[in-house]
Amino acid sequence: MDINITPMLDIVFIMLIFFIVTTSFVKETGIDPKRPVAETSVAKPRGNILIGIDIAGNIWMNNRRIELNQIRQLVEDAVNENPESSAVLISDEQSPTGVLIDIMDQVRAGGVINIAISAIPEST
Amino acid sequence: MRRRHRRAEEAEINITPMLDIVFIMLIFFIVTTSFVKEFGVDMSRPSNEPPKTEKLSEVIFVKIDDAGQITIKNRLTDIRAVRANIESGLALKPDASVVIAASRQSAAGLLVRVVDQARVAGAGKVSLVALAQD
Repeated sequence: MDINITPMLDIVFIMLIFFIVTTSFVKETGIDPKRPVAETSVAKPRGNILIGIDIAGNIWMNNRRIELNQIRQLVEDAVNENPESSAVLISDEQSPTGVLIDIMDQVRAGGVINIAISAIPEST
Repeated sequence: MRRRHRRAEEAEINITPMLDIVFIMLIFFIVTTSFVKEFGVDMSRPSNEPPKTEKLSEVIFVKIDDAGQITIKNRLTDIRAVRANIESGLALKPDASVVIAASRQSAAGLLVRVVDQARVAGAGKVSLVALAQD
């Protein structure tokens, strides 16, 4: 007697489709700054454009250091891959705000309106 | 009789290779999936084209200077008092939006705290502008 594998196949296919749909390839920034703490911070599940800013105001994306004028191109590429992308700026507490504002302008110019600043939720 | 039985067996599609591929894809996606646990506060930036829209009377203006001092309504304010100040401002003009003007040298952490406090105070729209450098 053969084992009936049809139910297993169903489940395997459903899992496969689930993982295909939920996978978004996140490109790590390459740095892990000390994020500020905020009460109103919420999870950003669609945030797959991650931009890191270190204390000195250097910008990091895709595990390497980049210049301000490269951001727009990188953001446009990410939007082409996934039009629903939103950006999360992972900034150190001590980073200068000016760099943050410049990056936000570049990200907007690249076509992403949803921008958030990474913060640790307070109630943990 | 015997021949018919054999033909029926041949007509079955062999799904084993397909199963192999499906399992390999499944394992690939399971391994590469990373559920991003990034938390953040939304931040909007006024578009730089037409700088007119909002009337000054409907804006609660928060200034952060180089040294990290916060000024609301021309009064120096502690970070812990920001929330109360914005709440009282919103009580007077409920539709007001909060505009935070931060110096380019101020720390980003302070900015996030101010935005956070404004959100807690109930401000619907918080936007960020850079103070002109002098």
